[in-house]
Amino acid sequence: MRFTDLLTVGGKLYHETHFAPLLRMQGEINGIALEIKQAGGDRLPVLISSAVKNGSTGEPLLIRTTVFDARDRRAYEEELLRSRKAAEEARKEAEADRARLQDALAVLQQSLLPATLPPVPGVETAAHYHTASPDRLGGDFYDVFPVDGKRFAFFLGDVCGKGPQAAAVTSLTRYTLRAAALHDPDPVSALTTLNKVLQERYTGGDPRYCTAVFGVLEPASATGQVAVRLAAGGHPPALRADGTADFLPTPGGLLVGVLPAPHFATATTTLGAGDTLLLYTDGLTEARTGEDRATLYGDEALRDFVAGHAGKPPQALVQALTGLLADFGDGLDDDTALLALGVPASGPTTKNPL
Amino acid sequence: MSPLRITTRDTATGPVLEITGEFDYTNATELRDLLGTLTLRPGRRLVLDLAGMTFCDSSGITALIAARNHVHAAQADIALAAVPANTLRILRIVGLDQIFPLYPDTDAATRS
Repeated sequence: MRFTDLLTVGGKLYHETHFAPLLRMQGEINGIALEIKQAGGDRLPVLISSAVKNGSTGEPLLIRTTVFDARDRRAYEEELLRSRKAAEEARKEAEADRARLQDALAVLQQSLLPATLPPVPGVETAAHYHTASPDRLGGDFYDVFPVDGKRFAFFLGDVCGKGPQAAAVTSLTRYTLRAAALHDPDPVSALTTLNKVLQERYTGGDPRYCTAVFGVLEPASATGQVAVRLAAGGHPPALRADGTADFLPTPGGLLVGVLPAPHFATATTTLGAGDTLLLYTDGLTEARTGEDRATLYGDEALRDFVAGHAGKPPQALVQALTGLLADFGDGLDDDTALLALGVPASGPTTKNPL
Repeated sequence: MSPLRITTRDTATGPVLEITGEFDYTNATELRDLLGTLTLRPGRRLVLDLAGMTFCDSSGITALIAARNHVHAAQADIALAAVPANTLRILRIVGLDQIFPLYPDTDAATRS
């Protein structure tokens, strides 16, 4: 019986093509993993080392072969493979969990903002949302929606705080304002309802509240003008751009949700052809500018910027502001929402049958 | 970035908390935690001295409101002293200058 008779078919081949030639060339070969057949037909993993013993004149006399039982080692290797596979599966599972979580977050995030704004007769609308951090759900919100046959409501605001808790307040706020407006579209009434809801929902040591501007648009199809009535609580004043730009002051309006009976400030205006009303959150005006990021962008700079774009349609204004936000770079560390409502300069583009 | 530090001392009218550094999203709960350990008797006044506060974001403002709720629940009073100009501007925008008594410094806030 030859040594190779002990080997499996694959082992025999390997022996012929690699093992024996190397042994001839080097005179010895060490630690080769092979399998040998056992009497019962089972296979035994082994490690083989062989050395050629030469005679005094250098001629090969015999081959000494040592066979190590490698069952323990094989078991160990299999264990390693198994745990590597398990780790790989755990990693895949974690990645799948993460993807699922991101999908869920994206769906929730989308529920906080309208996918598109509805067409408002005689009014052009544009909005933009800047997210400061992709994995931190936003606290700013805006919306535009019809309340009856001729009027549309809009709102924009900022929930104080960040993260999932703030996002929950954002969601509550958005749907409360929408429902309140259907019941009574008066701006102060809508904010008062929201105030009551936030007060009831969040009491004690974890107060939750928001700033908000809520308004009603009433397009007059005869004149093409749009009457705007709005109320604000704790929110920076809207900007009105006609040939120039000015704030539409709403001083003294209190944050929504802080006090049982707060005061909200009101304002009215009429938008004619080419006029635009801009609502924004303070991420914009509180952006830090300058080399040392120490100066706030501020109200004045925003008014001048908007004045520089006065007469442009809402889309163009929001686009210009989006560029401005991008220019802030890391000076902008808060979410920022923009909503512009304007009457096209060339008159209403949509005929309103009402 | 200057880290938040809150130091407490007692005066004749009640406790004074000096808030120094940046008061923001990352540390605003420290004030709430600290308030939980303070015992306020009815009629006393808690003064938050903000002279050394270098920054305050909306979470900081939230903490101030939570402090106000906490104090009022104990039938005590709250006042803000030495509010930095930038924070005062924000308090005005959000209407909170109407609901927090404001004083130029802690002396004035603890005199009444």
